[in-house]
Amino acid sequence: MSTDAKTCPVEAQLPCLAHLRAEYCAPSLAPGAPYLAALPALITGALLFLAASGLVLAVHYDPAHGFASLQYIAHNVNNGWLVRGFHATGTTLVFGAVFLLLFRSLYTRAYRAPGQLAWLISVKLFAFLLLTAYLGYVLTDGAVSYWSLTDAANAAQSLTGIPGLLGTWFFGGPAGPGTLARLLVFHAILALGAVALVFALRSAAKVLAPKATGADAVSFHPAYTAQYFAAFAVFALIFALLVFFAPHFGQNPLNASAANPLIIPAALTPPWYLRPVSAIASVFPGAYGGIFGVIAALAVLAATPWLDRSGPHGRPGTLYRILTVLLALDVLGLGLAYSCPSALSSILVTVTTVWYFLHFLVLTPLVTSLEAE
Amino acid sequence: MRRILTPLLAAGLLLAPAAHAENTLTPLHFQSQGPLGSLDIAAAQRGFLVYQSVCSGCHSLNALHYRDLEALGFTPDQAAGIASGIKLPDGTAATLDDTFKAPNLPAATFGGALPPDLSDITAERPHGLHYLFAYLTGFATAPADVTLLPGHYYNTAYPGNQPAMPPALKGNDVTYADGTVATTPQEAADVTTFLSWAADPNLTARHQIGLRAVIFLVFLTILAIATKRKIWREKA
Repeated sequence: MSTDAKTCPVEAQLPCLAHLRAEYCAPSLAPGAPYLAALPALITGALLFLAASGLVLAVHYDPAHGFASLQYIAHNVNNGWLVRGFHATGTTLVFGAVFLLLFRSLYTRAYRAPGQLAWLISVKLFAFLLLTAYLGYVLTDGAVSYWSLTDAANAAQSLTGIPGLLGTWFFGGPAGPGTLARLLVFHAILALGAVALVFALRSAAKVLAPKATGADAVSFHPAYTAQYFAAFAVFALIFALLVFFAPHFGQNPLNASAANPLIIPAALTPPWYLRPVSAIASVFPGAYGGIFGVIAALAVLAATPWLDRSGPHGRPGTLYRILTVLLALDVLGLGLAYSCPSALSSILVTVTTVWYFLHFLVLTPLVTSLEAE
Repeated sequence: MRRILTPLLAAGLLLAPAAHAENTLTPLHFQSQGPLGSLDIAAAQRGFLVYQSVCSGCHSLNALHYRDLEALGFTPDQAAGIASGIKLPDGTAATLDDTFKAPNLPAATFGGALPPDLSDITAERPHGLHYLFAYLTGFATAPADVTLLPGHYYNTAYPGNQPAMPPALKGNDVTYADGTVATTPQEAADVTTFLSWAADPNLTARHQIGLRAVIFLVFLTILAIATKRKIWREKA
């Protein structure tokens, strides 16, 4: 680990090796970071895994016959069923990790200076992933996602002005035979964007990692590589349990049947990771209601560093932490209530949506300024 | 190790005939259920016979090719024999590389709505196997206070209780080669097993790979955590 760079001829000729060594082998980090600090690295790995499995699927996918080609992949491509399971379960794990990352940043107030930029990148990554996952979901071309796409494309058509132009450009008009081919390209491009964002996030997180000098300091390798590897092993274990024993986790079973242009399902319930946002979007009425709900939900999340009135040095308070846990339960409740549509659940969705915005716009400024005193 | 395993294996073989006569209908049980479940190939073969003799008259099964039958324990020759007995719309006999023959009847035959494709029928509902069995065995005479729609039938399991499908399984619709008595519940359970295989043909392999992967990853996790603790102890 401690060979002198000046005496190493390879490093003199290949300076990037010296950079790597300075980055990963110089003792500069404080010990004792939690396992969850590995989340951005795990998200990076999972996104690259999704890109690899997505490439295999894209090779065999035929957007003109989306549902039939996925059946073909599952039945007639060697191990196609496994690759499809990898892609679906990988998405579940990426979202699990991103939800946990956002919760942890809120709970520990990591979003405050100097962490605002890392927080903004996290929220932007979340937004990118939501859009990418939605497109992946409509590419399955099932009985539910077909109608979800039809609704979204028609809603985009009804917009006027710049939003209408953007919507028409994105969907290419009302949903038709060519729409999926278009969305397949956007799915792949947005996924690349998400990979770029997660690398930016890791760069920002590296700056924020606690530093140390002297005897206390540890180098990234081997201290944190060992810790990251342990986190990865747990992550991979959860992945294996889901992909082999619950491959349809969090998906709407109705979507396993082929799209029927004559039958609209009673409820257009998306996969679990899209449910909280879909639930919020469903509360706002009117042509612009859905898109307004999504943007507002993400905007208040992104604005947290400025809604927190405790200043850069205020200590995290107990009440704020309780509120953050309540918010997590609220988002869970949003998803669950949206899963089984009924009169009661639409009331629950409204209540949880109100609480979501109340948390960010009223409770966060109020509680943080009270606790700062 | 072998000294321990051999008597166990012998005991297992002695007990095996008893296990074979196990009644899977009361209470209803499918071998594929549970985290380590596997496909009951004998039941799936019987179910294929029921599908072929009864269901395929109205329902398509587009995701399957005749070659897929080899996964049900048929030899390539047997599968080719089954395929050659099927006459395609153009008059030729089917081959291993043809998809299961669709009925190709107009929707008007069925009162305007085509019967659903059965490729994923057990995946389309939570507890799809139990639902399908309950549906196939759930036809009954309508209670006095129920007025049936024209061309509809009464079924206790179907949402709304009035499917447009008539009761298809009446018992002894097929003759099983293995001597199993073809009662209505037996046929329903067998065709359910067959259709669950159509929707999830790799269930057995999935569970086998999964068990190995999980055992490996449990040990990897233990090892990774132990390594991490050792490295951090040496640092401190």
